[in-house]
Amino acid sequence: MNRRAAVRNLLYIAGGALVLPACFRKSGKASIELANLAISEDDERLLAELTETLIPATDTPGGKELLLHLFVLKMVDDCHSPKDQQQFAKGLSAFSAWSEKELDGEFAAANTDSRVKLLDKIGKSDNEELKKFFSITKRRAIQGYMNSRYVMTNLVKYELVPGRYNGFAPA
Amino acid sequence: MVNLAIDSIKERTFDAIVVGSGASGSWAAKEFTEKGFKTLLLERGRNVEHLKDYPTTNMYPYEFEHRMEMPYADQQKNPIANRCYAYREDTQHFFVKDDEHPYIQVKDFDWIRGYQVGGKSLMWARQVQRWSDFDYEGPARDGFSVDWPIRYKDIAPWYSHVERFIGVSGNNDGIPELPDGDHLPAFPLNAAEDHFSKAVKLHYKNRHVISARCAHLSKPNPIHLEQGRVQCQNRVLCQRGCPFGGYYSANAVTIPWAQKTGNLTLRPHSVVHSIIYDETKGKATGVKVIDTNTKEEMEFFAKVIFVNAATLNTNLILLNSVSNRFPQGLGNDNGIMGKYVAFHNYSATIGADFDGLQQFRTDGRNPAGGGYIPRFRNVYRQETDFLRGWAAGFRAGRSDVRDTSGIGNDLKEGMLNPKLGPWRVSSHMMAETIPKESNFVALDADKKDAWGIPLLRISIDYDENDKKMRKDYYEQMTEMYEKAGFTNIRTRDDNRRPGNDIHEMGGVRMGHDPKTSLLNKWNQLHLCKNVFVTDGACMTSTSTQNPTLTYMALTARAVNHAVNELKQNNL
Repeated sequence: MNRRAAVRNLLYIAGGALVLPACFRKSGKASIELANLAISEDDERLLAELTETLIPATDTPGGKELLLHLFVLKMVDDCHSPKDQQQFAKGLSAFSAWSEKELDGEFAAANTDSRVKLLDKIGKSDNEELKKFFSITKRRAIQGYMNSRYVMTNLVKYELVPGRYNGFAPA
Repeated sequence: MVNLAIDSIKERTFDAIVVGSGASGSWAAKEFTEKGFKTLLLERGRNVEHLKDYPTTNMYPYEFEHRMEMPYADQQKNPIANRCYAYREDTQHFFVKDDEHPYIQVKDFDWIRGYQVGGKSLMWARQVQRWSDFDYEGPARDGFSVDWPIRYKDIAPWYSHVERFIGVSGNNDGIPELPDGDHLPAFPLNAAEDHFSKAVKLHYKNRHVISARCAHLSKPNPIHLEQGRVQCQNRVLCQRGCPFGGYYSANAVTIPWAQKTGNLTLRPHSVVHSIIYDETKGKATGVKVIDTNTKEEMEFFAKVIFVNAATLNTNLILLNSVSNRFPQGLGNDNGIMGKYVAFHNYSATIGADFDGLQQFRTDGRNPAGGGYIPRFRNVYRQETDFLRGWAAGFRAGRSDVRDTSGIGNDLKEGMLNPKLGPWRVSSHMMAETIPKESNFVALDADKKDAWGIPLLRISIDYDENDKKMRKDYYEQMTEMYEKAGFTNIRTRDDNRRPGNDIHEMGGVRMGHDPKTSLLNKWNQLHLCKNVFVTDGACMTSTSTQNPTLTYMALTARAVNHAVNELKQNNL
């Protein structure tokens, strides 16, 4: 099994709860196999920073540790239309350029406050490319977070076998 | 060689052959084998063994690659299957993919199919209600289709027989148009559903909101434990196959029961091409089967044949069973086989908010789904400008509302600290449609499938009656919602195509007269008495109730008749 397949399988099995070293490959490509999206290692790293800014590590794991950026990529690659995929890819490049200009440096290098403020600006901007990309990313990151093994077993517990129904439970 | 051939024929000869292993077919197999008849149960799809072949049943949401969403490529490739509410990443392996088994849509029609042992009984919605004489007398009273050759009293004991065996949770509500049954305890309505039920009772004389009746073991009886099933555990992941046997499926209940008798031969991967008719004997002698893997053609023989291939495929097999005597299909002298197909109109929903009863919420999950509103329109007399009426589902729930507007810590806090939202209520219409000659299926003259069987042409559509009923549903439900104090009422045409209700019925209808129907009151072909049809194809009209319980009851009744006839050498 090659490394990419191994990572993908782990991701599938673990539902995202897996830590990858920060710098682990030299291929320049994304760490998961994508059928439709062309994503570079830099793109992936930026998306990781973005999802970490959206959902930061606190006393519980955040976007990076839960691999939400890979979940976003996987879902956009498999579950979105080609049009969405194009908009996502374009929007990601646009975000890279725009954030660098706005922050006067790399997004990854900025402090948390400036990053959050920057993302806040997207909603108010009239750049449709950026907005579309951000809305897909945020929606999928939220989905990935709420449906991650970590959250479903520790924070918002999912019951596979409730064994009960009470229609008059106290609110 | 002669002896070999005789042995081979012997090995391929049974007392009974049942075509199709879903709810009705597996019931036929269960009844025959219990009565000591060697039975061959044919299934065109693969085997699905209870427990063993439910690959997703114990999976958590995060174990699904796409968190149960269907990928875009699959949606493009299989638009028909994807339009089915139950087709998801966790269940898709039980559904026929569009391109695997093509058919010809003369008019738009979503044909939702489950080609495997157990058929659609694995993924069904499990709602089971008896029909009443308001249904069986409907066509005669209202002047459509033909008179049903049976009445409620003919089938009532068979409803009990089936209910006791499969386990049906529900109340006995004492409503004449929805007869009481042999029920296990109901899954009670929740606070907001109960509020609606009381409000409707207060304001209307003959309208009811009751606990939905469903084929779940709310409290199993010894017979259910004997089947190897235990109490429903409220997972509501039923369509994956249930490890508890909490709901009725052929796989969990009737097929293993039939197997235990030692009289069942189950043969998957066996598509039936046609029924063999012997002109000298004046009856059917067996079926022609094609092995779907090897494409080998073979014949099996029996004294009696039950066709339970699911409505449209039953039509297809019979239409394809041509002989010198029956050039238009077996028993089809009158030429109406394949015609008068009808369905249920599910194309309307209505939702609203309810600000009351904030002190309650729900805890756990309700496998019954919520409430059921039996048909109240045109029951005792014709009161509208459309024929017949509609039943409806009704449910209420409160969900956790998560503020996801923020970014960073705000977003995380918002996601992890939900607020309990208000009660939201919703209902969907389940309307009767009127069987018409112009709604039909037929065999294509040229195109054939991979096994050389003609493709089915489907030409089925809504009509004006359906549109009027939808309008009435919105009007009446809005009024009822308003009387219950619901607000922000929203109606929605969901524009679903016929077939998406998955309740197609008819084409081989029952009736008194061989000139205007194909089956008699025992579900025998008028013109070929040892062939029985007891799946949806036999239905003279559709009523509003979910049909599967009636198929199972008709099946048990028909097998009982067949057995009596066989004993008297009448078949």
